[in-house]
Amino acid sequence: MNRPDTATMPRLAGSARQPAALVPGFWAGLPVMALVLGVLAAAIGFSAGDTFTLNILGTAMLFAGLASAWNLIGGFGGQFSLGHSVFFAVGAYTTANLYLKLGVSPWLGLIPAAALSAAVAVAVSWPVFRLRGPFFAIATMALTEVALAIGNYWESVTGGTRGMSIPFRLGAANMIFRDRISYTWIMWGFMALCLLVSLWLARSRLGYYLRALRDNEQAAGAAGIDVLRAKLLGMAISAALTGVGGGLFLFSTRVTDPTSILSLFEFGVKFALIALIGGMGTVYGPLLGALLIIPLESWLRAELGGLLPGANIIVLSIVLILASLFLKRGVMGALQGLRR
Amino acid sequence: MSGALSVQGVSKRFGGLLAVDGISFDVAPGELVSIIGPNGAGKTTLFNLLTGQLAPTAGRVLLDDADVSRLPPHRRAAAGFGRTFQIAQTLTSLTVLENAMIGAFLRHPRLADAARHATAMLELVGLGARANLRAGMLTLSERRRLEVARALATDPRIVLLDEVMAGLNQSEIQEVVDLVQRLNAEGHTFLVIEHNLKVVRQFSHRVIVLHRGTMLAEGTAADVLANPAVVEAYVGTRRH
Repeated sequence: MNRPDTATMPRLAGSARQPAALVPGFWAGLPVMALVLGVLAAAIGFSAGDTFTLNILGTAMLFAGLASAWNLIGGFGGQFSLGHSVFFAVGAYTTANLYLKLGVSPWLGLIPAAALSAAVAVAVSWPVFRLRGPFFAIATMALTEVALAIGNYWESVTGGTRGMSIPFRLGAANMIFRDRISYTWIMWGFMALCLLVSLWLARSRLGYYLRALRDNEQAAGAAGIDVLRAKLLGMAISAALTGVGGGLFLFSTRVTDPTSILSLFEFGVKFALIALIGGMGTVYGPLLGALLIIPLESWLRAELGGLLPGANIIVLSIVLILASLFLKRGVMGALQGLRR
Repeated sequence: MSGALSVQGVSKRFGGLLAVDGISFDVAPGELVSIIGPNGAGKTTLFNLLTGQLAPTAGRVLLDDADVSRLPPHRRAAAGFGRTFQIAQTLTSLTVLENAMIGAFLRHPRLADAARHATAMLELVGLGARANLRAGMLTLSERRRLEVARALATDPRIVLLDEVMAGLNQSEIQEVVDLVQRLNAEGHTFLVIEHNLKVVRQFSHRVIVLHRGTMLAEGTAADVLANPAVVEAYVGTRRH
């Protein structure tokens, strides 16, 4: 799994007179991207018929996409948001309500879902972006609580505390399938979209701007960067993808309620943790993190969950603490360290 | 290139403290003007008022006749202000080349163009061989030169240097002096805060002395440094 490593590592050798070799563009990263996506597609192919494995793969790919989306503003931009479950929920409820009330196919509904998630993200981020570091993180966490109160109260949209469900009406247009593999492929597609956007951002002017302001906002401003605009753009793209993930999540589980979908542990914090474990601010870090954490989590749940309630969560928490103590730059950082 | 700066009655008040008190001066295109003065004279505050990190309480700042007094820092960079900071603001997780590219993007939006322009700026300040190193690994003197490269990469009309010589040894100082003089000879306008009076004598066309937020003197280096009021501000009054 250390192949992605070669793409994001700047090479130390070579002359400064050949900048093209030092700053690879988007297209130069596509071969490695195709290889990674191809390997994961092959994994789905080999698991056909094995519902258990397909479920884990699908969940890992969904979270790989979501952590990659979070990473755009959280990792590259250094804005440690714990409120992304809000954009996740906005996407889910938009897709579901357009389908249930207006009969809009969820495939089409994902577009307004992305747009609305981005709009909500820009509206709430505008004031919150005045805060830095832990204060920003706490404020975004508080957003989740506000969203939960609204979600529980707004029954016509969310079903209130009783929750909502998507009726089982089979059909590709309804995004309702009998077999699990279709959902796994959908999650693969979502992950591919998020990874491609990550690769684009990492090698675009906006990506450089976000990394610059993450390091030093004053220096970024003096160099001509509109810091607030760059943050809002990064947040909008990140939230739009997160909203798409929310829509796909709801149609693959077909049931949710505000407490579940706005859960910090299940979503808001998990996006950040996966990116943190894998390696923040790298293209393939969040993917690595999801491929490690999600299978580990479901294995622990299966092995320990029945033994002692909550034991799986305790073990997972210990793994996360160890990782944050000893893998400060994530698994990607550790792999890059090995190459040196 | 141009770069005519006009500072008109600029003041900055922090609560009860008038840090900069009605300062006015002009810098002509191609000029190299030094600002000197004891610690706390308001030099860095004045720089922050010029490049937008602070908004003036009163007065106007004009660059090539355009009033930039109310613009935020990034718009002033776009208007033509390039600057370095007293404490080098290195983007430590980026490479040296990427640091310079951050400035280059302002007028070169495409990745390859920005990389090319940034590389040229690094060559100019003598950091070409360091391009691929993480900027956090640089020495102090290299960081200061990187700041200059990032400022130059924005293609500024006027370059503001805030104590770029501080903490450098003799040969490093000479390198920076040579660099500034070479760029000035090519037509770049400079406004420089500098404590090293030997350097100030060596390269300034004109010197402005600040003391307690006001302008104490202005003129050629020789005249200003011989001025009794300036000497008193620097070393104090002789006790009898």
